Amino acid sequence: MSAETPLLRAAGLRREYDGFIALDSLDLTVGAGELVALIGPNGAGKSTFLNLAAGLLESSSGAVTVSGQLAGTIEARRDLSFLPDTPVFYEDLSIAEHLGYIAALHETEDAAARIEALLEGFGLAEWDDALASELSHGMKQKASIALALVRPFRVLLADEPFDGLDPPSRAVLFDLLAEARAGGAAIVVSTHRPDVIAAAGRCLGIREGRLAYDGTADPAAIAEFFDDEEIAGSGKAAGS
Amino acid sequence: MIGRRVSVEGSGSEALRELRRVRRRHYVEQIDVMEVLYRIYLALFFGGFGLAIVAGAIHETPVTPEALAWMRDNLAASIGLVVAVGVLVGLRIGSRGGPLAIEAAEVQYVLLAPLDRGRVLRPAALRQLRTGAIAGAVLGVVIGNFVFRRLPGSPVEWIACLAAFGALLPASVLGAALLASGRRLRPLLAGALGLLLVAWSVADLALGVVTSPATMLGELAILPLQSGTEAVLAAPGAIFAVALLVTGLLGVGGILLDAARRRSALTAELRFSASVRDVRAVVLLRRQLASERPRRRPWVRLPAGLPSGHPVWRRGLQSFLRWPVGRVLRALVLGLAAGGIAAGAWSGAPIALVFPGLLLFVAALDFVEPLAQESDHPTRRRLLPVDPGSLISWHMVAPVVALALLILAGAGFAALLAGDPSALGLGLVICAPCALGLVVCATFSATADPYANLLSTPEVQMAMTAAPVGVGALLVAAPLLLAWSAERHGSSGVGAAFSAVFVIAIAAVGAAAFITRRFVKRDFERVSA
Repeated sequence: MSAETPLLRAAGLRREYDGFIALDSLDLTVGAGELVALIGPNGAGKSTFLNLAAGLLESSSGAVTVSGQLAGTIEARRDLSFLPDTPVFYEDLSIAEHLGYIAALHETEDAAARIEALLEGFGLAEWDDALASELSHGMKQKASIALALVRPFRVLLADEPFDGLDPPSRAVLFDLLAEARAGGAAIVVSTHRPDVIAAAGRCLGIREGRLAYDGTADPAAIAEFFDDEEIAGSGKAAGS
Repeated sequence: MIGRRVSVEGSGSEALRELRRVRRRHYVEQIDVMEVLYRIYLALFFGGFGLAIVAGAIHETPVTPEALAWMRDNLAASIGLVVAVGVLVGLRIGSRGGPLAIEAAEVQYVLLAPLDRGRVLRPAALRQLRTGAIAGAVLGVVIGNFVFRRLPGSPVEWIACLAAFGALLPASVLGAALLASGRRLRPLLAGALGLLLVAWSVADLALGVVTSPATMLGELAILPLQSGTEAVLAAPGAIFAVALLVTGLLGVGGILLDAARRRSALTAELRFSASVRDVRAVVLLRRQLASERPRRRPWVRLPAGLPSGHPVWRRGLQSFLRWPVGRVLRALVLGLAAGGIAAGAWSGAPIALVFPGLLLFVAALDFVEPLAQESDHPTRRRLLPVDPGSLISWHMVAPVVALALLILAGAGFAALLAGDPSALGLGLVICAPCALGLVVCATFSATADPYANLLSTPEVQMAMTAAPVGVGALLVAAPLLLAWSAERHGSSGVGAAFSAVFVIAIAAVGAAAFITRRFVKRDFERVSA
């Protein structure tokens, strides 16, 4: 892969569900070290795009590549970490067992230290032996984030990762994303949260399955795109 | 790259193996021995009870030479048709993400990891194969144990052939499903391929030839009856099943993850519903698994004011007119299969006359859909300015009419197969009363409260769930058996059936009245509460 190759690229991406077009002619690239906020109204196609890029969905036409490899291939899976909007766990594994397993599946070096750091960071150290069913919604979300971050990755796709987190955990996640970005990862975060949009260097807006906005967290542009006073307000805050 | 990888090749696969070991250990630790023993006891209890009934019903007189000749000419193709339908079902399941039910976490963490998906999924497929093949082989052994007493051939031959067939049938269905999911066949293409095999098998049956691989596999099931070319043709049939399975297993890694995720969620719900014997939930979830949705446009739009009468009757017909192709075909296949089995049973195995009722009961579960929806939404029902008893009674009209027509179609098919028009006459006599009885039985099943008997013992709960199915099977079998017996003694079969359907009609009307009263009572209790 050359230095100019974007880590994530969608070209002419289209996805239909029984005649309903969820995503249409989507072209975008995300490079190394970028933190991108993916915004758009409910049903705009954000999750569809993330699922396509993760290789969980097949496109109707067009393609997504991860580090130059088609999404879903072993090479792409090696480089891409996906954090779904709903935490998913094995019923019969503890949080520590989950982390150890995912780290091992991805052949993570120095996994023990990484797991310990994540458990400490998210305040899960005391719950490392707990089953997922014993955790609150917020704790499950933190554990799910830890599972996405415990393994090596070049591209991180996160579907509304800040939802359900308490303020200290949000701060930890912001720090971890900043660290990953500084390390050269490409990060795409689907969100409705003003503080996340403000923190992102770039904003991609999807409306009715098409890319309708690609730029900075410019308050006026986002307000126009969203028609949402809260987000427009955050844009102003970010801009000021 | 955020984080680093170890340089040891294959450590991901080793992690997968280790996890499987850990989970197996957790599973074994959580097994409740008493629960397992109780399940074994229940299986033995109901299995032994069923076997005793079948053993008592089957007499050991060798079949007549005419029946034997019919079997030699048609039985392999008939069994082949069952194989072809099984393959069709397998292809359809596979084209919708089956047959594997993968945990959501397995999709998220293992199938998205940089591991060969084929190696990850093959053990699960092999486990399904093992379960299906063993169950099929055991069933084959049981059937073989009954068959050798009436047909030429040694016990060992029959038991071995039927056990092999019993193992290969699920293997071919599983293979077809894996092939369709791994090769990502679209539902339309998978359905077309399956229907092609079914049509091929029908042609074999109609022309009395052995050309379809499904018919060849059918030859294996009756190998002790055959000699010469027919006997040799069993080998390609077995090879077909094994080839289907191997091809499916080799391509299992090509599964669509989206379909697998959707299926895993639905399968978990389906298992729970089955465990609490919630028939209605099982029907609805099975439809979701098959992506079976009503048509956006009806097959035909009913003209305003037609048919005349109560609006609920019209609503029932409107529901049928939006049936998707799959449901229409399933009902037709069930009706025709009921007729085909009745024709086959008539010529020497009257015990098999219980099966038409079972198949028609399954069809009836689809026909009572409008009524079941009324049961699903009691609040909506209670807001209607209509007497609930009258509402429910009218809801039975359209299903009874539709099911009666299906029974007639089955009777027509039986008449065609047997070359005896009197089968159609018998169908005309039994269609309306049996349709009413089956609709009542299906309504019992579809509207039963699965939690009403939770405090009863499992035997009682299972008996309560099985009762409508058993009654449905018997109420179709009774007039047919009476007619069969009367004809054997030189009397009129239609006349004998008429006396039985009279009793069935009275009992069914009584049961229908009971159901409507139950709805009225439930609604009254809710209003009072």
